[in-house]
Amino acid sequence: MNVVVCVKQIPDPADPGALEEDHTLKRDGKLILDESDSYGVEMALQLADAAGGGDVTLVSMAPNNETSGLRTALAMGAAKAVLVSDDALSGAGALDTAKVLAAAIKRVEGADLILAATESSDGYTGTVPEQIAAVLDLPSVTFAKHVEVADGTVKVQRQTESGFDECEAPLPALVSVTAGVVEPRYPSFKGIMAAKSKPVDQVTVADLGLDPSAVGWAGAGQEIVDVSPAPERQAGEVIEDEGDAHQKIVEFLDGLKVL
Amino acid sequence: MFEWSDEQLMVRDAVRQFIDKEIRPNLEELEHGDTPPYDTLRKLFATFGMDAAARDRFANQIAFEKQVADAVAAGDQPPDRPKRDGDGGASSLTIIPIIELCRVCPGMVTAMGVSVGLTSAAIMSKGTIAQKERWVPELLTLEKVGAWAITEPDSGSDAFGSMKASARRDGDEYLLNGSKTFITNGPYADTIVFICKLDEGNPPAERTILSFVLERGTAGLEQSKPLRKMGMHSSPTGELFLTDVRVGRDRLIGETEDVVSGGREGAKTTFQQERSGVAAMALGIIQECLELSVAYAKDRVQFGQPIGRFQLIQDKLARMEVARLNVENLVFRTVEMSAAGRPMTLAEASAMKLYSARAATEVALEAVQLFGGNGYMSEFRVEQLARDAKVLQIYAGTDEIQITHIAKDLLRR
Repeated sequence: MNVVVCVKQIPDPADPGALEEDHTLKRDGKLILDESDSYGVEMALQLADAAGGGDVTLVSMAPNNETSGLRTALAMGAAKAVLVSDDALSGAGALDTAKVLAAAIKRVEGADLILAATESSDGYTGTVPEQIAAVLDLPSVTFAKHVEVADGTVKVQRQTESGFDECEAPLPALVSVTAGVVEPRYPSFKGIMAAKSKPVDQVTVADLGLDPSAVGWAGAGQEIVDVSPAPERQAGEVIEDEGDAHQKIVEFLDGLKVL
Repeated sequence: MFEWSDEQLMVRDAVRQFIDKEIRPNLEELEHGDTPPYDTLRKLFATFGMDAAARDRFANQIAFEKQVADAVAAGDQPPDRPKRDGDGGASSLTIIPIIELCRVCPGMVTAMGVSVGLTSAAIMSKGTIAQKERWVPELLTLEKVGAWAITEPDSGSDAFGSMKASARRDGDEYLLNGSKTFITNGPYADTIVFICKLDEGNPPAERTILSFVLERGTAGLEQSKPLRKMGMHSSPTGELFLTDVRVGRDRLIGETEDVVSGGREGAKTTFQQERSGVAAMALGIIQECLELSVAYAKDRVQFGQPIGRFQLIQDKLARMEVARLNVENLVFRTVEMSAAGRPMTLAEASAMKLYSARAATEVALEAVQLFGGNGYMSEFRVEQLARDAKVLQIYAGTDEIQITHIAKDLLRR
């Protein structure tokens, strides 16, 4: 079974750097594999193993032909990657990204299943996986906490607030996976050494048959007008116990509708 | 080479993640509890494929040795050893985990190095093919814990001269007697290389040095509980007591008493390998102490300003950085020499060990000083690293022995 995993390469959260003048995140340094995507990579490797074979292919979009994050996923065991890198993509929004990734996925022959994280750790729109599915006209199941494939069908336990739904979709399909789906493996030393010689198909927007003037800032249909720090957490309410503290706490919790 | 390559950095980061998840949260138990380090080390080996890689290397080595043995038995010209153009930097795959482990738990490296390195090397260097196949693979993968027993209560630096442990012939067998102490992994070892003198009634100074392989549970072999010691608490150290342990010739390394190049020389080869590993251990301790010290110097405020603004603190940080640079360069040199297939002389290995061990101890103690009262408390970590660092100047040959070996090697040229 052939699985495609959408992976994002992001600035290291431990050293996120600064913003560009247009308020987008600086991405000119080394980028790492978004941890939220490592679960999809691991799930894909396990599904291919369980099916008795097949390739895991990565699809990514990043500036400056950056491959550092891809190498991490290749070291885990993915066979190859498609990387879309193009200055025209600067400022790309979620829908642009979905269109580009969908076009890149089409370059992968015989993809049975496409996996993605539920959202990236730097953008957090959480919309790209479903947009890809829509562009490719594929069934999509979100928030998978368990994935199985059998007889041309993907069976998913979809995480909900109260438990999980059991969902099925015919293949090919797109599934977004949560951090609870599997425990990502560490890349073995042998895998790390092999990763640099695995093929990375580097393509531009034009190579994908898309119009460079319709993506990025040009195609985004949006502008970031300002970025401001998140407000600091407010100090909590201190209740002095004058014999009625328990009542005040009950009233406070009741106000939150948690009782 | 002045920095790690991208691949080497990936190795470092992966090992770091493993340590952050598997070792740091359990450090208290590993250092002060009853948990031996072996399960965690086995998990490290399996996680990164170090066990499979060791098995492959061993299989290749044995296949070649069998070709040579077959050719010799058939009276043919034995094949040449495959030309070694170096390891392509593969030594870094051993050195990087050593550095990273030593930033957090140097005792684990001691336990690992003695089992995977010293014990297996002692059998690989002088054992027969059958002996290597019998004991070495499980040592290389840490499935079995190994110990290398040379030190005795009355013989430390003068390991061979004062050695009392003995082997006496008894028919086709040997009776082994003696006490060993400060034996890393001694309490838990499954496979023990026991070094002793062949007692033929001749004067001790003239006796041949022999090495035997013993296994846990052998009649007459007693393995003590872990000894209490200053540092390296996660590395169990113990005593071994042998009382009329009866072994066959199959357990005599090399299966011959005719150890022209074995005995002392074999043990000295082992010393050399051991010494170059200590520099990597020192680098891990130095890096961790320096990083912790820089952060503390920025955060700790006294007299109204961060203590990093005081020149006496700056002097400490500067000296630590000098040590880090020097030891890192020595480690990089080791990787480069190994990549080029160039062996290290005894003087070089000893000089490297001498300098690195002293540097690690000095840096770690200065880190304690920089942290002041906090540095004396376990919570701030430099306390443990300072205790751990000291033994680098003692085991694998004391500083004083290193100096002797450097000078002797220089003067004999």
